[in-house]
Amino acid sequence: MKGWRTLFPNAWHIAVREYRARARTRSFVVGTGLLALVAFAATQLPVLIDYSITTSQTRIAVVVEAAGMPSDSLSVLDGQLNGPAGDPNTHKAFVLSWLPGGDVAATQKDLEKGKYDALLIVARDPATNDLGFTLRTDTPQDGPAVSSIVDALLSLEIDDRLFRAGTSTGALTAPFALTIGPTNAASAGTNSISHEVSTNLLSTGLIMLIFMAIITYGQWVAMSVAEEKGSRVMELMLNATTPLQMLAGKVIGNGAAGLTQYGIILAAVVGGLLAQGQIHKAVVGTSTGTPFGGMDPTVLAAFVVLFVLGFLMYSLLYAALGSLVSRQEDVQSAASPLTMLVMAGYFMSILGLQAIDDSWVKIASFVPFFSPYLMLARVSAGHVEMWEFGLSALVLLISVGVALFVAARIYSAGVLLYGQRVSLRQVFLAARVSR
Amino acid sequence: MSLIIDSVSKRFGDVQALEEVSLEIKPGEVFGLLGANGAGKTTAMRIVLDILRPDSGTIAWNGRFNTDLPRETWGYLPEERGLYAKMNVLEQLVLFAKLHGVRGKVAEREARGWLERFRIPEYADRRAEQLSKGNQQKIQFIAAILHDPQVLLMDEPFTGLDPVNVALLKEAFLEIKERGKTLIFSTHQMETVEELCESIAIVDRGRVVVSGSVRDVRRSGGRQMVRLAVEGDPEMAWLAELDGVRVTRRGQDYTEMQVPSGHDPEVVLHAALERGLKVTHFEIADPSLEQIFIEHVGQIDTTERTLAPKVPA
Repeated sequence: MKGWRTLFPNAWHIAVREYRARARTRSFVVGTGLLALVAFAATQLPVLIDYSITTSQTRIAVVVEAAGMPSDSLSVLDGQLNGPAGDPNTHKAFVLSWLPGGDVAATQKDLEKGKYDALLIVARDPATNDLGFTLRTDTPQDGPAVSSIVDALLSLEIDDRLFRAGTSTGALTAPFALTIGPTNAASAGTNSISHEVSTNLLSTGLIMLIFMAIITYGQWVAMSVAEEKGSRVMELMLNATTPLQMLAGKVIGNGAAGLTQYGIILAAVVGGLLAQGQIHKAVVGTSTGTPFGGMDPTVLAAFVVLFVLGFLMYSLLYAALGSLVSRQEDVQSAASPLTMLVMAGYFMSILGLQAIDDSWVKIASFVPFFSPYLMLARVSAGHVEMWEFGLSALVLLISVGVALFVAARIYSAGVLLYGQRVSLRQVFLAARVSR
Repeated sequence: MSLIIDSVSKRFGDVQALEEVSLEIKPGEVFGLLGANGAGKTTAMRIVLDILRPDSGTIAWNGRFNTDLPRETWGYLPEERGLYAKMNVLEQLVLFAKLHGVRGKVAEREARGWLERFRIPEYADRRAEQLSKGNQQKIQFIAAILHDPQVLLMDEPFTGLDPVNVALLKEAFLEIKERGKTLIFSTHQMETVEELCESIAIVDRGRVVVSGSVRDVRRSGGRQMVRLAVEGDPEMAWLAELDGVRVTRRGQDYTEMQVPSGHDPEVVLHAALERGLKVTHFEIADPSLEQIFIEHVGQIDTTERTLAPKVPA
């Protein structure tokens, strides 16, 4: 194959053409814009959630009929419902109207008018001298608001009983010595729930990025091959270039178009996360923690290596399968065996994330078709040796070479075969006789 | 110093597409490849271009095998015409030229020049899908020649063009020939061949039946044609008495007959004069290419013999 020697500049010319042809389509422009918008919106989800929490408040009128309540009753109730006083970042979910000796009938009217969401009547049982409560509200009785109130009432009851026994909650809950720390200095910083969640989310996200890229942009490559064949422009191209140049150009051009789309979406995500604090402040009035907390540079480096190699291998094979059909409508079915493999790898990695130390995960992380996903899963879980990653990447690199050779063979034979459906046997026969 | 196709054979499954095909095409020549559909013309071209590899045999141009030649040696107008539908005309012309190593600026200038010559300069910025079939064909022709190839191979270049465009294309042919380039084209239109070609080959079922200069091929049948018209004797029954003469066509204007080589065609004229007839038309000619073609290939065959491996429809 003389194409090996003269891959460039022709592969480059083809790549530029492919890139432009792809980036100019309406579906690319609209799709990229929409995805970027959705991605940006997704990053603002926490703001939205916080905002909806902020705007929801339960207003409670507390009519106190009971006599001899401890003087800190209101602050105990408020502290239980809204958290410790004095924290400006804490949102007040409950607004209390403390009405000692209040008029139940009048407050009931206010409740009915919607001035309050709940009416709480505090009375004292003459027999036991304990506090008794009546709560009237249309807030869901099995909802979080009511259960919070019930919890708070228990505290109020205990506070009252302690007061009557001559002591106070304050004395009982005075601070005591407590130290919590990691196993040792090395594991420091990894023992929070938020860290574990963000690591898991990140690796799931990165694996999904690889999956989406291969399945979407790989099919672009197959489509563009079938399109050339269908429009017969292939015959002009065949004299101008070699199959290898065409393959390389298509994979590079479509890959670059895909990366452009990814880049734009990623920029929207990063921009969204960076702006999240500001927007949160503007909308909710408080700021949030720093983004990218769980991001590990080794995971990102592994992602880039596996993404590039995995994409190259799969899209070369997609190109080969695309060359077997003459119409774009047939691309899906021709590519389905490969698409199955892509999906299989993805689902394996989802399962594998739950069982990262199982031997099947380890084995599959060296198998070319699955390693882009599973090795990434293992790397992000942090349970992998350097040599293991190196070996997996090397196997993948060799597979890219094999895929290039096989794809060039199938491609150079496939592009000259026209018909509804070309069998692999015909391709095999044709591949032996063409260059 | 010529294009030498040496005993090339090619088989697709159970179809022998080419069998021991040998041809020599001189540089600067216009060469016609004649054959029925499925005779092997397209396969032969693809093999010359090294798009397909032969099972045996070699191709050499000016002493170098085609496998060692740079692709820009060749220009190719395939029979199945196609362009990038959504790409604008000038852009794709420049792309094809660039793929053959022409610099972008030069390619653009040349492309505009050719569009001008084909009287379609306004199409430079249109998308290919907006052009008529005939105009697309002209664009494809330009794409094939923009890099100034030494050898131009064209598969049925005139098919689908109206007479004005056929004339434009013929002009372009002659200009390319004047630049010293070699042109090879396949066709089954005999008139075009007689008008343009210096040499031809007739191909049938993968074999070269006859090849050489147009004159030699026309004489290859080993006979000459005589056309005779006389006053007062439309039947000319006496022609049957002449040795070797066979009447091939009787018409109002003249009667045409074959005279085998070794016989003097003037015998016919003498015989007419001896009978005291007044000769109004006497003509000695070589058989037309069409006659030679039919003689070698049989009736121009309407059933297509597919060469590519059979695929279920």
